Amino acid sequence: MTDDRGMTDDRGVDAQPAAETADDAQPAAEAAPAPAVRVRSVSIQHDGRAASTPSDVSFDVAPGEVVLILGPSGSGKSTLALALNGLVPHAVPAELTGTVTVGGMRTADATVARLSERVAMVFQDPDSQMVTGTLLDEVAFGPENLLVGRDEVLARAEESLRQVGLWERRRDNPDLLSGGGRQRLAIACALAMKTPILVLDEPTANLDPAGIDEVYAVLRRLVDSGDHAIVLVEHNLDAAIDLVDRVIVLDAQGRLAMQGQTRQILVSRVDELLRLGVWLPVALLAALRLRAAGVPIDPLPLTPRELTASLDAQDALPALAAQRGHPSAGASGHPAADASGHPAGNTASGRPEPAVRVTALDLDRGRTRILNGIDLTIDRGSFVAIVGTNGAGKTTLLQAIAGVIRAPAGCIQVLGVDPAKADARTLARTIGFVFQNPEHQFIKGTVAEELAHGPQLQKMAADDIETRVSTMLDRFGLQELRDEHPFLLSGGQKRRLSVGTALIDGAPLLALDEPTFGQDRARASELLTLLDALNAEGTTVLVVTHDLQLVAEHSSHILVLDSGSVAAFGPTASVLASDALESAGLRTPPLARAFREIVRHPDWRSVTRLSDLPSGAPS
Amino acid sequence: MSPASATATRQAADPYAAPPDYGPIRFLHRLNPLSKIAAPLPAMALLLFTRDIATPLIFCIATLVMLVVGAHLRARTLLVLLIVIPMIVAVMSVSFGIWTDPARVGDSPVLIEVGPVRFTVGAWLVGLATALRLTSIVLLALIGGLTSTGPDLVRSLVQQLRVPYRLGYTALAAFRFVPRFRHELDVIRQAHRVRGISDGRGPIAWVARTAGYVVPLLAGAIRHAERVALAMDSRAFGAHSTRTERYIIAFRARDWVFIVFFWALTAVVVML
Repeated sequence: MTDDRGMTDDRGVDAQPAAETADDAQPAAEAAPAPAVRVRSVSIQHDGRAASTPSDVSFDVAPGEVVLILGPSGSGKSTLALALNGLVPHAVPAELTGTVTVGGMRTADATVARLSERVAMVFQDPDSQMVTGTLLDEVAFGPENLLVGRDEVLARAEESLRQVGLWERRRDNPDLLSGGGRQRLAIACALAMKTPILVLDEPTANLDPAGIDEVYAVLRRLVDSGDHAIVLVEHNLDAAIDLVDRVIVLDAQGRLAMQGQTRQILVSRVDELLRLGVWLPVALLAALRLRAAGVPIDPLPLTPRELTASLDAQDALPALAAQRGHPSAGASGHPAADASGHPAGNTASGRPEPAVRVTALDLDRGRTRILNGIDLTIDRGSFVAIVGTNGAGKTTLLQAIAGVIRAPAGCIQVLGVDPAKADARTLARTIGFVFQNPEHQFIKGTVAEELAHGPQLQKMAADDIETRVSTMLDRFGLQELRDEHPFLLSGGQKRRLSVGTALIDGAPLLALDEPTFGQDRARASELLTLLDALNAEGTTVLVVTHDLQLVAEHSSHILVLDSGSVAAFGPTASVLASDALESAGLRTPPLARAFREIVRHPDWRSVTRLSDLPSGAPS
Repeated sequence: MSPASATATRQAADPYAAPPDYGPIRFLHRLNPLSKIAAPLPAMALLLFTRDIATPLIFCIATLVMLVVGAHLRARTLLVLLIVIPMIVAVMSVSFGIWTDPARVGDSPVLIEVGPVRFTVGAWLVGLATALRLTSIVLLALIGGLTSTGPDLVRSLVQQLRVPYRLGYTALAAFRFVPRFRHELDVIRQAHRVRGISDGRGPIAWVARTAGYVVPLLAGAIRHAERVALAMDSRAFGAHSTRTERYIIAFRARDWVFIVFFWALTAVVVML
C-alpha cells in the first residue's frame, strides 16, 4: 500500500524514541510542545475482519486544541476514537498496532480505568451512557469509581452540572430529560472525570435539531474556556465547523488522507474531499456550485453567515434559472404544489383522487390528546416531510395514516381505503410502512423469504411471487444476498430490505418513520437517493424526520405539526420561506438561513436548496 | 406538558428518587432494607407449613397495622391493602374451597348445593386458610417492598452483606434496561403486526409470534448492553476493589430492635 499523500510525511520520523521522551517527562502538560494525544502508525483490525481501519494513521493533538476527524463511513473514525481511551484494544475485540499515547501514558500499557483519568468519552447514544437514577448520581459515578473523596465528588458534580446548565435538575431521573439534555448530561459526566482530553464520538447523531443546538452551545463554551483538548467525530459539519481548529481526514481504506487547519483543508482540497465521499458544510457546497456557475466567490465560505456575507459582497448575481423554470420554487398555493412533484400519467380523467385525505382527525392516547382537528389533503406523487418538535404528534399521524395505530373510523382515506377499517392485506397493498429500526420488521430467516412474505399473505401465485421477489432483489441490490439472514446484512442493506418489504405488495404509498435517525450521512443520503428514485417513478412518499436540510433538499411538501395541530402545509419552498418552522419551535435549515439574510439581492432570499442554485452545466 | 408537572407526576413512581423520610411514626422508611427482609423471613418460612386459620390471620392483621402506621402510603395503595386484598381473600377462599377434596373435610354443614356439587363450611374454611396463608406471605414481603427503593437495597447489599459492588451496581444499571426493552418490545410487536403476523389465534400462534419477537429484541439488547459496558468502562467502573460511597446506608440499633421484635412476635404466634 503506497501512501502518496503529502501530509503524512512525518511518518518517517522514528516514533519510538519520541514516545519514550513523552513517557519520561511525566508532568508534560506544562511543557509547551508535548502533545495531549500522540497517535503513531496506528492500525486497528477488528476480529474477523480482513482489512484494518484505520490503517497506519499518525497525528498529534496539542493541549487545548479542537480536532475533527472526518472520513467516509467505514473508514474507522469511531474505532480510532475508541482507541484514544484504550477501549480498543482492551474492551473491544480488535488488534491494535502502532502506539497511542495520551498525556504521556501509552494506552497499550495502561488499563481503561487508569486512562479514564486522562481521556473522557462521550458516545453517540445518550441512553446507553446512563447507569444511575439521578443526574447527581450519574455525574458522581465516574469520580466515585476512582475513589475520589466524598466532598470532592460533590464539588466536581456541581461544577460539571453547572457547566452544562443542569445543576437545577440534579435530583431528576435522567429519563425526564430531552435527548439533548441527556447528551449534555453525558458531557457533564465526562467533565467530572477532570481529564485534559475529551473525545466525542458522533455526539449529535441521535438528537433532534433543538438537542443539537443545546449540545453545541455547551461545546462552544468548553472550547472557549480552552481547558480541554477535544477530539470530535461528527458528520454534522454545519454545527461543528466553526469550533474546530484542525481536521484529520481518513480515506475509505482508513488511511490518513490529509490533516491541517480546518479552513485550509476544506477550502483548498475540497475536490479531494468530495471524491472521498466526505460530507461538507452545506454553505461550502452552495458556494462551489455558484462558483461553477461563474459567481466569483472568494474565499470559500464554511458557515451560513460567511455565505451570506460573500454573496452580499457580489455586485451582481446571475438570474435564478431554477426559479424561472419551475414556478413551484417561489410561488405558494396549490397549483404550484401540483406542478412541483407530480409525475405525468395519473391525470387521465381530470383531477385525480388524492393519495391521502384526512378530515377532522382527533386522536387521544390515554387522557392526552395527541392529534387535534387535523385536516389534510396529500396529492399523489408528492414527497411530504412531516416535521415538528418532539411530542408534536408526527409519528402518531404517520402511524394513523398507515393504519399502524387505529384512528377513529371515517377520518382518513388512503386511496379510497380507510386504514382504520381495512384488513391487513388490503392495507399492505395500499401503504407500506417502514419503521425506524429495520430489524424490528424482520420476521423470516432469509432475505428472499422476507420479501416473499407479503405476496404470500396476498395469496399470489408462486411464479408471480418469485418474479416480484427477484425484481425487488435487483432493484435494491440484494440479489447476491438472497439466502443471507436479514440480521446479518449491513446497516444500509437492512434499510433497503425494509423498504423493499414495504413496497413489494405494490403499495403506491410509502410511509417512513425517522428513517435517517442515528445513521451517518452516507447511509442517510443513500436512502434519500432511493426515495427520490421511487418518488420519480410515482410512489407517494411520507416521511417523518428531524433533519431539516434533508427535508429541504428532497421533499416537495412540508407538513409542520405543532402540539398536535397542522401549523403549516404547503410546497417546501414556500414553507421554508415563511416563519412556520420557527413558530413551531424548529430551526430553519442552514442554507435557507444563509439566503434569507441576503441584503443586496432580495430575489435570492427564497433560495432553500442546492438545486435552486444556478449550476455550471446548463441543463 | 411542562417539565415541572412531569417531574411531579413521575416522582411518585420513580424508583431512583432519593429515599424520603416521613418522620418517626412512619418508621419503616427509616429502617435498613435488609432488616425489612430479615425480620419477616422466619415468619414467611413458618407460614409455608401452617394449615390453620389463626396463624396467617394474625400475621395478616399485624402486617397490615404495621404498614398502615409505619409506611407512608398513597391513597391507592391503602385502598388495595384494606379493601381489595380482603376481597381477593374472600374470592380465593371460595375457589380454593371448591377444589378441596370433600373426603378430607368430613361432615360439615352444607352451604350451597348445586346438583351433585356440595360446598360445605369445612371446605370453605380449608380454602380460607390457604388464601390467608398466601396473602400473609405477600403482605410480609410488602413490608420491605413498599418502603425501600431498589438502589437502597443494592447499596445495603454492597455495604452490609459485602456483595461485590461490580455485581450490585451492574444490576442497578440493568434496572434502566427494563423500560427501554418494554418500549422496544411494543415497537417490535407493532412492526410485526404491520407485516401481517398477527393473524392466527390460539397457543401455537402465540408461541410462534413470541418467538419472532425474541431475535430482534435480543439483537437490540446485546447491542445496547455492549454500549453501556463501554460507557461504564470509560468512566472507570471496576477500577478499584471499592468505590466511594456517598450514601451510607447504616445498619443501626433500631434495625436490630425491629428484627428482634419481629422474631419474638413470630415465636409468640408459634407458641399460641
